[in-house]
Amino acid sequence: MGKRTIVPLGPYHPLLEEPEFFKLYCDGEIVKEMVWETGYNHRGIEKICQSKTFEQVFYVVERICGICSTSHPFAYANAVESIPGVKIPLRAKYIRSILGELERIHSHLLWVGLAGHFLGYNTVFMWAWKYREPVLDMFEIITGNRNSYAMFTIGGVRRDVSPEQATQLLNVLENVKIKTDLLVGAVMDDPVLHSRLKGVGILTAEDIHDFGAVGPTARASGVDIDIRRDDPYAAYDLVDWKVITAQGGDVFAKAEVRLLEMYESIKIIKQCLEALKETEAGDIKAKVKDIPAGIGIGRAEAPRGEVFHFVKSDGGNSPVRHKIRAPSFTCIPTFRRSCVGGTISDAAIATAAVDPCYCCTERMAQVYDYTTGKKIMSAAELIKLSQDSMKKLKAKLKV
Amino acid sequence: MGFKEKCFKKSLWVFHLSAGSCNNCDIEILDCLTPRYDIERFGMKLVGSVRHADVLLVTGIVTRKTFPRVKEVYDQAPKPVVVIAIGTCPCTGGIFKDSYNFAGPLDKVIPVDAYIPGCPPKPEAMLAGIMKLLNKK
Amino acid sequence: MDIEKYIVDIKAKFPEIKNTKVVNTKRLMIYISKTSLLKVAEYIFKDLGYRYIIVTAMDSKEGFEIIYHFSDDSSGWIINLNVLLPRDEPEIESLTPVVYGVEWIEREIMDLLGIKFLNHPKPERFLFSEDWPEGEFPLRRDYKEEKNNG
Repeated sequence: MGKRTIVPLGPYHPLLEEPEFFKLYCDGEIVKEMVWETGYNHRGIEKICQSKTFEQVFYVVERICGICSTSHPFAYANAVESIPGVKIPLRAKYIRSILGELERIHSHLLWVGLAGHFLGYNTVFMWAWKYREPVLDMFEIITGNRNSYAMFTIGGVRRDVSPEQATQLLNVLENVKIKTDLLVGAVMDDPVLHSRLKGVGILTAEDIHDFGAVGPTARASGVDIDIRRDDPYAAYDLVDWKVITAQGGDVFAKAEVRLLEMYESIKIIKQCLEALKETEAGDIKAKVKDIPAGIGIGRAEAPRGEVFHFVKSDGGNSPVRHKIRAPSFTCIPTFRRSCVGGTISDAAIATAAVDPCYCCTERMAQVYDYTTGKKIMSAAELIKLSQDSMKKLKAKLKV
Repeated sequence: MGFKEKCFKKSLWVFHLSAGSCNNCDIEILDCLTPRYDIERFGMKLVGSVRHADVLLVTGIVTRKTFPRVKEVYDQAPKPVVVIAIGTCPCTGGIFKDSYNFAGPLDKVIPVDAYIPGCPPKPEAMLAGIMKLLNKK
Repeated sequence: MDIEKYIVDIKAKFPEIKNTKVVNTKRLMIYISKTSLLKVAEYIFKDLGYRYIIVTAMDSKEGFEIIYHFSDDSSGWIINLNVLLPRDEPEIESLTPVVYGVEWIEREIMDLLGIKFLNHPKPERFLFSEDWPEGEFPLRRDYKEEKNNG
């Protein structure tokens, strides 16, 4: 079972008031302990996969999480295709990578918006989500849907990318790049954000190792890991790009990593689109007869980190075991280190920094008094505390 | 003019509850707030507490753990409240209907006024559904 | 990574390793008994510094199979420690003293398969609601779905 189930009660939306998933026990201003409760979102996906054919499983796994809708099918495809050792056509590799990177862009923009909201920068929230729309439009043009793309199939992809769509995509990317420049400028050079986010929610490289944390959460602590480079799949070893890391391990570093990664994603997509011209249109799927008995382990680098799928086949039509691990499963427990010892007003932003995919996790924290065990603050109030803290800081810095 | 129509003449306050969703629908609901769809121009806004809500948007299959919570939230909402099931999951359970943790669909727990299927339904579909329901009144 | 050398080295260090097998590309399966788990895992996680990924557990024909996955990010290899538990005694020492991060996945496995992790710091229910019946493990082969389908 696993991830796909865990939590999220609601999306990562701060206004969502939900049954606790995390309880923060506080002594005065300081968070002393974090207890997590989950299972609200447990949908039994691993068991469901056992009753679907290998092909049908794609449509189940892309609904594990709406935001990482490409990453799960990607890792699953890598796992299943490794059992018979399928070689997918070059064109399919490029298309898969394009989808993966587009997803990274939309997911990071989503995160920037939400982080903005947590800090009271509602304009950033509106802007980031507005700039996300053209990316979702491109998804709809290429795949037919804004979310849940149904593009992956065993052996390749289901739809091709036409030259017209490629041109449209290039235009959208130019725009996204300009808007990313804007957002980067707004975040990286803002003295208030520096003051508010630096030194908050720090995770050391040792913390990362203890929990097996991955993705931007790990890279922001200087841990140089990225599945696209370490265990390459699709077209990632055919194009030129770099892994973004930062030092400090705090919320600011995590924001920095995500923003700069968007540029790399744009770079990758452009190269893939160029390379598509050299491949034969329509050659997007290899013929695969059956999945023989055996096991396959596949991974993909989702916007939040490594997605891991383990598939066991006994030669039949369905997987006999499908283990799914989403990145947030190992990133969320790090809250114990990043939140405990800090103040309550930092807790909201420290948890947001890990970009917990709520389908992979649960949401909102509630605050309890350490000595009496009585609830003193709801999730919405916690967010408000964070926003108020920003206002005070701005006033202090006379900004 | 009926009691309900009288109450809904003014702007609508919407509360969103996830009963075990994958977030697709939830993100699309949030998208309605953003500049492209901008539900605020219709006078609709998302509120942080169900006690202020006129409309309850529910997403997700109802899992065993969220079953009592959904009921609790509904009971806390001041009546009249309109309940809308967003997405295929609360309507029928969708691909999760055979799951051992499926305790829904939504109308098994609370009365539902409108069903907006889709996986996820586009923001336009949600707005159209809400408008249709309100005009019906 | 020179996998042949790696296998020779690790077998020399831990002669109690039952078997090794390279699966597809860049995946190595190391079969060990449950008593060797903590030692071998400590070597891989602490001495070699491999990254903990997750733990997969399943109800196989031969018994309960638990696979601990570790990643060597410098080479892209995944090293998997495979432990088989007899069906009538599904118990094993918790790996939490070595790998702190396994706490949650062990609780999840307890819920889904009923495997007992001895000396686990917090062996409480992880996924299921309070009204989920005791002794019902959905991922076991003999689990009857109709009973619990809402």
